[in-house]
Amino acid sequence: MHTPRSWRQWLLVLLAAALVFAMLVLPLALIFSKAFSAGWDMILSNLADRDMRQAIRLTLIAALITVPVNLLFGIMLAWCVTRYDFRGRKLLVTLIDIPFAMSPVVAGLCYLVVYGLESAIGGWLYDHGIQLMFAWPGIVMVTIFVTCPYVARVLIPLMESQGSDEEEAALLLGASGLQTFLYVTLPNIKWALLYGVVITNARAVGEFGAVSVVSGAIRGQTLTLPLHVELLHQDYNTVGAFTAAALLASMALLTLVLKTLMEWRQQRQRREHQQQIETA
Amino acid sequence: MSISLQQISKSFGNFSALEDISLDIPGGSLVGLLGPSGSGKTTLLRIIAGLERADRGRVLFDGQDVTRLPVQKRRVGFVFQQYALFRHMTVFDNVGFGLRMLPRAERPSREARRARIMELLAMVQLDHLASRYPSQLSGGQRQRVALARALAVKPSVLLLDEPFGALDAKVRKELRRWLRHLHEQMAVTSVFVTHDQEEAMEVSDQVVVMSQGHIEQIGSPRTVYEEPASRFVFDFLGHINALSGRYQDGRWENGDAWLQLPGNGCPHGNLTFYLRPHEATLARTPAADAHLPVQVDELSVFGATVKLELSPRGWQAEALEVELPREEFLALAPERKQALFLRPRHLQSITADGGLGPVLDMQG
Repeated sequence: MHTPRSWRQWLLVLLAAALVFAMLVLPLALIFSKAFSAGWDMILSNLADRDMRQAIRLTLIAALITVPVNLLFGIMLAWCVTRYDFRGRKLLVTLIDIPFAMSPVVAGLCYLVVYGLESAIGGWLYDHGIQLMFAWPGIVMVTIFVTCPYVARVLIPLMESQGSDEEEAALLLGASGLQTFLYVTLPNIKWALLYGVVITNARAVGEFGAVSVVSGAIRGQTLTLPLHVELLHQDYNTVGAFTAAALLASMALLTLVLKTLMEWRQQRQRREHQQQIETA
Repeated sequence: MSISLQQISKSFGNFSALEDISLDIPGGSLVGLLGPSGSGKTTLLRIIAGLERADRGRVLFDGQDVTRLPVQKRRVGFVFQQYALFRHMTVFDNVGFGLRMLPRAERPSREARRARIMELLAMVQLDHLASRYPSQLSGGQRQRVALARALAVKPSVLLLDEPFGALDAKVRKELRRWLRHLHEQMAVTSVFVTHDQEEAMEVSDQVVVMSQGHIEQIGSPRTVYEEPASRFVFDFLGHINALSGRYQDGRWENGDAWLQLPGNGCPHGNLTFYLRPHEATLARTPAADAHLPVQVDELSVFGATVKLELSPRGWQAEALEVELPREEFLALAPERKQALFLRPRHLQSITADGGLGPVLDMQG
């Protein structure tokens, strides 16, 4: 790597910077400026709105359930396909990508068909007092579906390249399965895992298509933030829509900051640990 | 601790990796499993360690059946070809891992662990690198850390899977000698896998030659080299020249080449001989019982013996290789492209079914 030398190289850098500004930074800045255009009071009153608070709560609940579930699911799946060789392994790896390949709207419709009131399962559950579709459980279900490949997809190539030698070495040194996972596997995959969590969370918070199909868009009950943004926009409540949008954008920025911060902290810890040993 | 393998078989899908392997390894010995890749030697080592489970057969440590004993309970030290050091731990923590994993009742105190780790690191001459991470070490240093880590829990058996395979030639030689030395000090039963004949010959007390899931021969390095039990062993240990031709009534022929053989012990028809490079000489004239015209292609005058690559003149054979002592080479003074005659001293005949036939002594 070196600093650009010729005017062509500088032009390339400039072009990249301009594109990032026009396509990423500018829209993001506009969201905030629109939200703040009518002053703090409007933002506060919009945030205090009952429907808005409900949308925030539902979005957070969906993300809070989705992230741990997919974290667990992703680790298990990646472990299975990188540590065991079995018939259908390749097929399983391909199947993981279904949520990537499929439009989220289709996923929502599938869930509606399988778990909706018209279906056998959905009908039976409703008779026993459980409603999945047009209620928060359905929203959580499709969010999990849409975001389930992220952690596994990040982990699989990493775990494949790392191989199982270190884990075997740990077992040979007397570690139990759990100890091996905690002391050897987890430290080796933690950055990939964290990255997986960050993008899973970002996607879970922002999911629109699948959620919009199964939510039924009941005001004050089954609206998540992205759905709420659309609703406010259609109601010509520009400040409200942009306030909700700014909120979503803030969540995304926060996850980015958290990720960077954790990486930085980890590096510092490692350095300190090394210094401790050297002075000891 | 002695290791005994009884009728071990293992297959992966349709591929049969090991077939009915039985092997006794006496306590305190250093045994080399030698074979080409795919011969099943690593699988056998992993079965001894408990990393792989045999489809059939039993593994005994000191007469105790450990076939079903999980890997954690076998107390086996294992060294991987690619070191398998814990990359996020320092050298110190790597070596101490096994001690840290002991159940609370057996685990030494922090100070005792520290003393043991530093003692091991001193033994592998790496105590000054205790706080480094594996990525900051050279290959040879990493493998020494791996060895110290394996020895930390006082294993009853030490298993090494191509331990020097990933190192460059000079480091490999150094570590080989060092392992031999270490084994003499510790006297822990050790088994190591290698595809390098020289390594197996130099390091082991006993060599187990394997091919295609079978044991071809077990013996001291000298025995397997001087008295190979099969064509495969003869072929695998050192270079050979193969001479194929037609045999009838004491005479072997291939184009312009012929051999007048002592005795009449060989069956008529196609007959192949194996000839070791150092069991032949070169001359300007043919011998009375051997007429093998050759041409010198390449000379390698490096070392105590001189290697010559030859091609047959007027007969069919793969490129031939001969090793001459330096004085003999200087007396003959051959040059590139020169026409000479090959005079074999010993010929190992190969029977029609591919086994080893009688050895023929020639006049040379």
